[in-house]
Amino acid sequence: MELTERSGRLPRRLQRITGENVMLCYQCRKCTLGCPSAYAMRLKPHELMRALQLGLEDQVLWSGTMWICLSCETCNTRCPQDINIVSLIDGLRTYYFDWEYYNPVRELPMMHRLFLKLVRRFGRVYELGLVLILNLKMLNPLKDIDLALPMFLRGKLKLFPHRSEGVKELRTVMSRLEAMEDER
Amino acid sequence: MRYAYFPGCSLGATASDYDLSLRAVCRALDIELVEVRDWVCCGASSAHATSHLLSIAMPVLSLSHAEADGFERLIAPCLACLSRFKAANREMQEDPTVREKIHRAFDYQYRATVKVYHPLEVMMEEGMVGKIRSRVRKKLSGLKVACYYGCVLTRPPKVAQFDICEDPQSMDSVIRALGGESLDWSYKTECCGVSMTLTRSDIVLKLSSDILRAAKELGADAIAVCCPLCQANLDSRQIQIEEKYGVHYGIPIIYFTQLMGLAFGAFPRELGLEKLITSPRTALEVCGLM
Repeated sequence: MELTERSGRLPRRLQRITGENVMLCYQCRKCTLGCPSAYAMRLKPHELMRALQLGLEDQVLWSGTMWICLSCETCNTRCPQDINIVSLIDGLRTYYFDWEYYNPVRELPMMHRLFLKLVRRFGRVYELGLVLILNLKMLNPLKDIDLALPMFLRGKLKLFPHRSEGVKELRTVMSRLEAMEDER
Repeated sequence: MRYAYFPGCSLGATASDYDLSLRAVCRALDIELVEVRDWVCCGASSAHATSHLLSIAMPVLSLSHAEADGFERLIAPCLACLSRFKAANREMQEDPTVREKIHRAFDYQYRATVKVYHPLEVMMEEGMVGKIRSRVRKKLSGLKVACYYGCVLTRPPKVAQFDICEDPQSMDSVIRALGGESLDWSYKTECCGVSMTLTRSDIVLKLSSDILRAAKELGADAIAVCCPLCQANLDSRQIQIEEKYGVHYGIPIIYFTQLMGLAFGAFPRELGLEKLITSPRTALEVCGLM
């Protein structure tokens, strides 16, 4: 079903990005009841759906719900209307990625940006580098320091990054995708 | 049977024990693993939060290497990689717009012919359970195991197409084939919260603590896992959880491949058992396995 002019800007924009129709939600709350991180959300999943239907962009942003979602796919599996809620949330994340001022959990987009930057550099995740830089950026340099020694002693923490031979191809593909996204 | 093998970033570092034990078990079961040529990160939870196309392109890069090298089947032991691969294959097969864009970004035109498997899916192939049973030298008699499958092995069913979505049985049947006792519980597919492990650890500690508490109440000797990320959360963070909630769990979090290797008669060191942070010694000694 295509959304019409009457259904408002936000639902239509989301349908364009993700192909999902928020208007199908009838508030049964199955998503919220199964959601493992709902307790930490200011807007629970079903409330997020309602806010999206009503086009309450400010509340959607201020709630930070899109960033607290763990992408565990429970809501998707159980939704009686077969709405792909995770895909909707990914659509929101992509669209509002840089709206930092409105984001109560800024460390999440910060983490994603850093993660991809390191992968672009090495082709693979450099776990230690990711943790160290992220902790500094979150102004919490000693976060999880108690885990470092036991992991290091068991050979689970590699000090230096491993570079994949596929990284050149990955960089080419990433640049081409960025060029394609700029075209639009 | 020959498979392309995509270890993923975790198995090179934090989960080197999973890598060791999986390779040992596959050798014992005549499964040949060939590492994917020049594989790169699957993008995990970061790619799909930033760009939909990128979240397809990153898995496609490694999949296309496997396809070009003539593989039809690929094993991905990490659930994050697995679900990204399955999602990418599905979109490449079903969405012509995405396919066209991805083809424009790559020199090699991936045709989505590489089928992606989790090691558990391979163990559930026809005749495999019998084969596992025939390789057992030391039964896991008396070991009470809670099988923890993690979030995206069976979810969403449309993409995963494996096992019973809300109450999976595959790992339980492997444990039973090894002579162990698999316990029935309701936390099999609860999420451990790993995508926020570096940022909002408070959420991770709560979710992982719930899982550990349920296993403790059940009387489990060990939790068997099939994902390096769940393992890292439940095992490495167990000390933090115990400190925060003022309880003692001491439950070892063992890869199901390590349990298979032990039952097949491999030495604990060959399976990386000494790398587990919560020591499995007490639990395994009781059953004469260590």
